[in-house]
Amino acid sequence: MAELDCDVVVLGAGPGGYSAAFRAADLGLKTVLVERYPTLGGVCLNVGCIPSKALLHTAAVMDAARALGEHGIVFGEPKVDIAKLRAFKDKVVGKLTGGLAAMAKMRKVTVVQGVGAFTGANQLAVEGKDKATVRFKNAIIAAGSQSAKLPFLPDDPRIVDSTGALELKSAPKKLLIIGGGIIGLEMGTVYSTLGARLDVVEMMDGLMLGADRDLVAVWQKFNAKRFDRVMLKSKTTKAEATKGGIRVAFEGQETQTYDLLLVSVGRVPNGKRIGADRAGVKVDERGFVPVDSQMRTNVPHIYAIGDIAGNPMLAHKAVHEGHVAAEAAAGHKSHFDARVVPSVAYTDPEIAWVGLTEDEAKKAGTKIGVAKFPWSASGRAIANARDEGFTKLVFDAESHRILGGGIVGTGAGDLISELALAVEMGADATDIGKTIHPHPTLSESVGFAAELFEGVCTDLPPQKKK
Amino acid sequence: MTDVNVPDIGDFKEVEVIEVLVKAGDTIAAEQSLITVESDKATMEIPAPGAGVVRELRVKVGDKVSQGSPILVLDEARGDAAKPAAAPAPAPAAPAPAPAPAAPAPAPAASSAAGPMTVKVPDIGDFKDVAVIEVLVKPGDTVAPEQSLITVESDKATMEIPSPAAGKVMQVRIKVGDKVSEGSTILELEAEGGAPARPQAKPSGTEPEPVAQPQAPAPQRPPVPVAPREAVQAKPHASPSVRKFARELGVDLARVKGSGPKGRILHGDVQAFVKGALAAAPAAAPAARGGGMPFNLPAWPDVDFAKFGPIEAKPLTRLQKLSGPNLHRNWVSIPHVTQFDEADITDLEAFRKANTAETEKQGFKLTMLAFLVKACVTALRQHANLNSSLDRGGENLILKKYYNIGVAVDTVDGLVVPVVRDADRKGVFDVARELAEVSRLARDKKLKPGDMQGGTFSISSLGGIGGTAFTPIINAPEVAILGVSRSVLRPVWNGKDFAPRLMLPLSLSYDHRVIDGAAAARFTSYLASVLADIRRSLL
Repeated sequence: MAELDCDVVVLGAGPGGYSAAFRAADLGLKTVLVERYPTLGGVCLNVGCIPSKALLHTAAVMDAARALGEHGIVFGEPKVDIAKLRAFKDKVVGKLTGGLAAMAKMRKVTVVQGVGAFTGANQLAVEGKDKATVRFKNAIIAAGSQSAKLPFLPDDPRIVDSTGALELKSAPKKLLIIGGGIIGLEMGTVYSTLGARLDVVEMMDGLMLGADRDLVAVWQKFNAKRFDRVMLKSKTTKAEATKGGIRVAFEGQETQTYDLLLVSVGRVPNGKRIGADRAGVKVDERGFVPVDSQMRTNVPHIYAIGDIAGNPMLAHKAVHEGHVAAEAAAGHKSHFDARVVPSVAYTDPEIAWVGLTEDEAKKAGTKIGVAKFPWSASGRAIANARDEGFTKLVFDAESHRILGGGIVGTGAGDLISELALAVEMGADATDIGKTIHPHPTLSESVGFAAELFEGVCTDLPPQKKK
Repeated sequence: MTDVNVPDIGDFKEVEVIEVLVKAGDTIAAEQSLITVESDKATMEIPAPGAGVVRELRVKVGDKVSQGSPILVLDEARGDAAKPAAAPAPAPAAPAPAPAPAAPAPAPAASSAAGPMTVKVPDIGDFKDVAVIEVLVKPGDTVAPEQSLITVESDKATMEIPSPAAGKVMQVRIKVGDKVSEGSTILELEAEGGAPARPQAKPSGTEPEPVAQPQAPAPQRPPVPVAPREAVQAKPHASPSVRKFARELGVDLARVKGSGPKGRILHGDVQAFVKGALAAAPAAAPAARGGGMPFNLPAWPDVDFAKFGPIEAKPLTRLQKLSGPNLHRNWVSIPHVTQFDEADITDLEAFRKANTAETEKQGFKLTMLAFLVKACVTALRQHANLNSSLDRGGENLILKKYYNIGVAVDTVDGLVVPVVRDADRKGVFDVARELAEVSRLARDKKLKPGDMQGGTFSISSLGGIGGTAFTPIINAPEVAILGVSRSVLRPVWNGKDFAPRLMLPLSLSYDHRVIDGAAAARFTSYLASVLADIRRSLL
């Protein structure tokens, strides 16, 4: 068994974990990275963000090609070679994870493959392909989360979570998405474009909770044709594997039979699977590891970042936290003080939001002002034949400083960065409106919305004087 | 479910939450304190607007809150018997137009008159706009005369305002955080006539006691897609790079003034703030936990005490927190020198003892402190410089023609210094009686801010406890303070032989900018001579 001594051990090589390990190595710390899978990158690269985007891109191009019929350009019905599509997706993943392995090597980060668990406050045991005892001065827990399971579902290859759905084993005709969050609806988009009819069942009274309802409404209208049933405030009560499919019973709804069930009811942090108690690290009842603004757990030389350290469970949040933890371990006065973490649903159209949402502000009674620029007034959106979206900015009613915003429309996920930057920089409506946005672009809608708030927008009918 | 937000807390914005008093799942009553916030002026507790079960907390210790910031989500109690049936809630800020005509104008505050009355803030000295930090009664409560109704806090002290009469509280017109002055309305009282009847004889018998029923457990937690995001309002206007820079230097951006467009805090503003903080050292008064010290000193040692044995963290009292920085300022900014001396009080003690019986008949003790106050006045008349203050510019000495002697009183919460006014015009008995009274008020937290103002010279007596000498800290802007230790019987050479004499140790700390050593020595020896023969005070 290998015995390793290091300054920092990072448990988990997802986006947060590898970013922490690489940053620690760049700061001159001797770093060990423990990962249970053979490739680096975690859920995000291997079975999450990246492969889903490879498929979503494919689906979007297919949908766009089909839509060109309206412009007089007609392609034939697409022929789908699902094995080849799967191979493309795997190539994308391979390219990125290979790149990570190479970068780990260049930084002299020791990668140990196996499941790591603490055996003491300064020691961690790895079991798996590699067996090792790692003695560390600092540890960064980046062990992530896993899909939540529904205990009443039978074990059947036709019942999958997001990882299973990305394997793209078949092209189902009828797909049930259990849980109307972002992950389920993204995968639903892919399968729908490949020919599936969609049903979705959600316990709460809306899809994609967390986003403002007006953003989601645009997406829902545009995608209504993909769905047979949108069952809100509904529960799945029973599922039965039969020869002809999975028979699913709902509370207050007709029983249906599906070719595939996609279970996307949230993610559970892995806090209870890492032997935290042997290191004295506190884990809460849900499996999160509480941390301070330096990402330190209750044990000062042990840090936790990413999904396991709390919501929102997003790769880009984890990366920043990973950097903070690595820098703090190196003795820097680093703190996580980002004011906002943007969220994106890579559906079609995309929905993206950042900072204070209008719905939250209303609930909290915060005095805000809102400006909404409809893409039906954007030359570029019209030219793209995709003018269903809008750009909304949320400002402090008094100071006119931007507090957040939301965008629905093609490429909203890319457009949201400007709003995140504006919030971090404390920009106000005039700052944004006076920044020249190139014409004709979708990003213009951000500038227009800010002008609208200040009453100086000339791309819309004249406003009533405030 | 209701969102409970921070109510109107006066002009304060961005005050820090220093304590969260409830947690999710707690059953709380209306007006129960939820959180404590602290501004640079005062701390205040924010009460629950109604009864119920706390569903979710929205604040944590260290958060900055302003009016409207969310505190928690409350599941209101249903069928809660305790809730007053009077429907429209105790309307915190109901601008009830002109309460006067509503009540048929009773003679205000005739304490024995029965009927509705409006209780107002009485004369609380010079203080205006002091913050209400506690409301001690609620509608429906029965109060006795002199029962405390609210607690207010100025920058000097906290004070409880008593009820002028017995009666039943009809409506509370004030809430924690309100600023009040003399005449502000506190509450509406249905006063009882004559003898204050004991409150509500409870009907014992068949009627089932309304048991505070535990709320139904919170419904199964649905998967929360996104954690509630931190409100981003009102944070310092600074970009991420400036925030990082400030972090590294330990600068609190809330204290930095931005010079950029629209008040944006720039890199240079942080640098200037640090330079300013280093230059303005004496006023800075850093707490032990702070990183930098003035005078370019090394940082305060950061020791993990728990490593060496069990410890317990006990929070400072409010009084300690308020007086600590003042003591520190005085200690670092006044060049102190302490002159020691001793006075032969053998005869004075005999005289005091001979007269105690008489005062005890009148209900107070004739203490040595009362004689000390008078003796100091006599000495101060002869040494006017010790009864003075430096003016703000440090150009002039302000000599005071009145003799208000502050006397340090030890209370459970800390030290307060009530003032005996015009001590030169009072007899020893009057002074003794007054000292007994202010000590009692101090211990009951009933001192008014005015009782602690206007001192010209202070006495700190540890005579009842022990010690031989100590170095008291001057109570700025006064220029001297007399410390008194325990008197001892000692053999003193009288020229022929050693005689047993009762000697009182004196420790006079003085501001060396105003008083030189010779003057101080002359003062203490003159004071000793007065104490040795109190008849000198007649001269």
